[in-house]
Amino acid sequence: MRDGYRKRLETLHTELIRMGALCEEAIASAARGLLDELPEYREKAIKLESEIDAYEREIEALCVKLLFREQPVAGDLRQITSAHKIITDMERIGDQAADIAEISAFMIGSSVKSDIHIADMAKATINMLSDSVDSFVAGDLEKARGVIESDDIVDGLFSKVKGELINSIASNPQLGEDCLDLLMIAKYLERIGDHAVNIAEWVVYSITGERKGAYDLPSGG
Amino acid sequence: MRRRILVFTCLLSAAAIVLTAVLIHMAVYRGFSERMSREMETECDLIVSAVNLSGIEYLRSIQKLGSAPRITLIDRDGSVLFDNGWDASSMENHMDRPEVRMAVEQGVGEDARFSATISKRTFYRATKLGDGKVLRVAMTTDSVFAPIPRLTLITLAIAAAVFAAAVVIGTRVTRRIVEPINMLDLDRPEENTVYGELAPLLSRMKRQNDIIAKQMDEIRQRQIEFSTMTDNMREGMLLLDCEARVLSCNRSALELLRANYASPVGHAALTLNRSEPFYSAVERALAGIPSEEKLSASEKRLQVMANPVRDGDVICGAVVLLLDVTEREDRERLRREFTANVSHELRTPLTVISGYAEIIANGVANGEDIPRFAGNIYDETQRLIAMVGDIMTLSRLDEGAGSSPRERTDLDELVRASIQRTSEMAGGMSVKVSYEGETVEIIGVRQILDEAIINVIDNAIKYNVEGGSVSVTLKKLTNDAGKPAEAVLCVADTGIGIPPDEQERVFERFYRVDRSRRGAVQGTGLGLSIVKHAVKLHDGKIEVKSDGKHGSSVILRFPAA
Repeated sequence: MRDGYRKRLETLHTELIRMGALCEEAIASAARGLLDELPEYREKAIKLESEIDAYEREIEALCVKLLFREQPVAGDLRQITSAHKIITDMERIGDQAADIAEISAFMIGSSVKSDIHIADMAKATINMLSDSVDSFVAGDLEKARGVIESDDIVDGLFSKVKGELINSIASNPQLGEDCLDLLMIAKYLERIGDHAVNIAEWVVYSITGERKGAYDLPSGG
Repeated sequence: MRRRILVFTCLLSAAAIVLTAVLIHMAVYRGFSERMSREMETECDLIVSAVNLSGIEYLRSIQKLGSAPRITLIDRDGSVLFDNGWDASSMENHMDRPEVRMAVEQGVGEDARFSATISKRTFYRATKLGDGKVLRVAMTTDSVFAPIPRLTLITLAIAAAVFAAAVVIGTRVTRRIVEPINMLDLDRPEENTVYGELAPLLSRMKRQNDIIAKQMDEIRQRQIEFSTMTDNMREGMLLLDCEARVLSCNRSALELLRANYASPVGHAALTLNRSEPFYSAVERALAGIPSEEKLSASEKRLQVMANPVRDGDVICGAVVLLLDVTEREDRERLRREFTANVSHELRTPLTVISGYAEIIANGVANGEDIPRFAGNIYDETQRLIAMVGDIMTLSRLDEGAGSSPRERTDLDELVRASIQRTSEMAGGMSVKVSYEGETVEIIGVRQILDEAIINVIDNAIKYNVEGGSVSVTLKKLTNDAGKPAEAVLCVADTGIGIPPDEQERVFERFYRVDRSRRGAVQGTGLGLSIVKHAVKLHDGKIEVKSDGKHGSSVILRFPAA
């Protein structure tokens, strides 16, 4: 029975990696759909969302089954509970990637995006997500902490993009709609960065048992 | 083993003790009974002789003695005449008692009876007196077993002590026996001389040890061969089990996949690369379908080939080969482009020539047009000749041109000559060419260097704007020791410039920055390609600097002589 348990834990790990890979693909596709205006990438990002949702349900069921059937303790318990939380963040990433793809359909041919640092922001966000999935795959504590720190980069880029959009609207009011769409996209990217940070925090938790913001709680929490 | 020996020892000693005790008891019992009957015989004889002497009066006198044996006098008919323990008149006829009957018949009779009621054993001895009466003496003991409980107690105590001793000694002996066996050196079984009985076992063990050692050596050797082979492969190789976990993996695989794992063995293959093509290739291979996929890991493009490993009908894993196809694909693309370009570039002038020639041949052309057409045909032919010349130069450079004689060549002289030769074209485009330089000698093939320099200057003029300028500088750089180290030729123009992301590609054959100007500018598109090869042949370096909008500079560096 314990053999089956180890196997299921392993399955949980690999399924989670696959889901992470899909998220990376979704956001990369969404970014290409926006920047290179390739419709097949937009469609792919939207298609991936439902796939990611399916993964979320499957992994959720697996987590619950593991929790109740095997009653895991210590490290295993942390691994399962953090997996349970990570999939929620991943699912949100999938949703936001699809949202970006949907909005970018309205922005084809718009000149706004070439002048705004949205490409840099997309790149930074993709890197962050990649790193957080990497840290999860390899159980790399350093990398996970790196992701948590790099949130500032994406946040900084967001305020930069926001400033640029304000200037753009001021100087060219007829581009207002495109600018607002782009602001939405920037916000989604910024949110994806936050989710990547969440994932990294859960990775830290599953390795060390420490939860950010929970240090002041009595030990054993 | 120790336990077994100990248990056996204990059981053996216990059995010995019990058996000894029983036998001793039997012997003691026998001796006791014999002594009892002997004593009674004597006593009986004494009483009989006393009665013979003094008659019945004697019996009456001893009646008073308390613990004396019971004495009964029985008449000839069996009635009891006297008994010192009981009232004689109330006693039944004793003729049926075995000892009495025996005494009547043989003179003496004996018997022993156990009375259950008083739980005592009584020995009887009867003797026929001279007058025919029978005198019987009876002695009652608590039973012959009476002394036995005490004996048993002692026996038990002794048995316990002996048993305890047996256990202690047994333990020690066991240890002594077993210890040498435990101390056996199983790595060198033949050197042990403890027990002769173990010799066959040990020699067999030695044979097996030898076989195992040999097999281990073979396996190790094979492992070393395998890992040497795989580790020195440029291709990445992964061996996966049926659950897609890594069984073995070479260094190249880790490098190609950019996996920063110390040891991925035992982990899921997915941890090495989680991209869809990789995963689906592995999944299909594990389902029994050999598959190939392309995947990009960072800036590299990899070809993934996954093949199932079968054991009979069962798929027990997969072998995944990873090939870096970045360079190959780039080369293929270049070759394709080159072929397409070459045919295009050769065809265009030929089409023009054949068109004009056809018009003239058909006599459609006016007489005054013919010289113009001929001029066009001449121009296109010149262009073809230039292109064929360039292609020949290039193929000569491709072949190495290493055989050409090298000599000390003054670059300054070559640059001046080149500027001289292009001055007419520069004048035609009103491009001003300035030169500033010093004498720098390098070792090289004069003809090739000449070709390279004229190509660079030619390009700078050709791709310039009307009224632009070209500034050529030649400098000699010295090293720390003051010796000439490098010749640097810089050709800067004020032309259309080269966008940064195309600066690498300008050296490709037939590549032109602005394709729409292809027709407007006379050129073969091979110039910079020739320059690059020429510089490479002289161990030099070439570099293009441009902001992509206003002008560009080409810098050639040659090691100085």
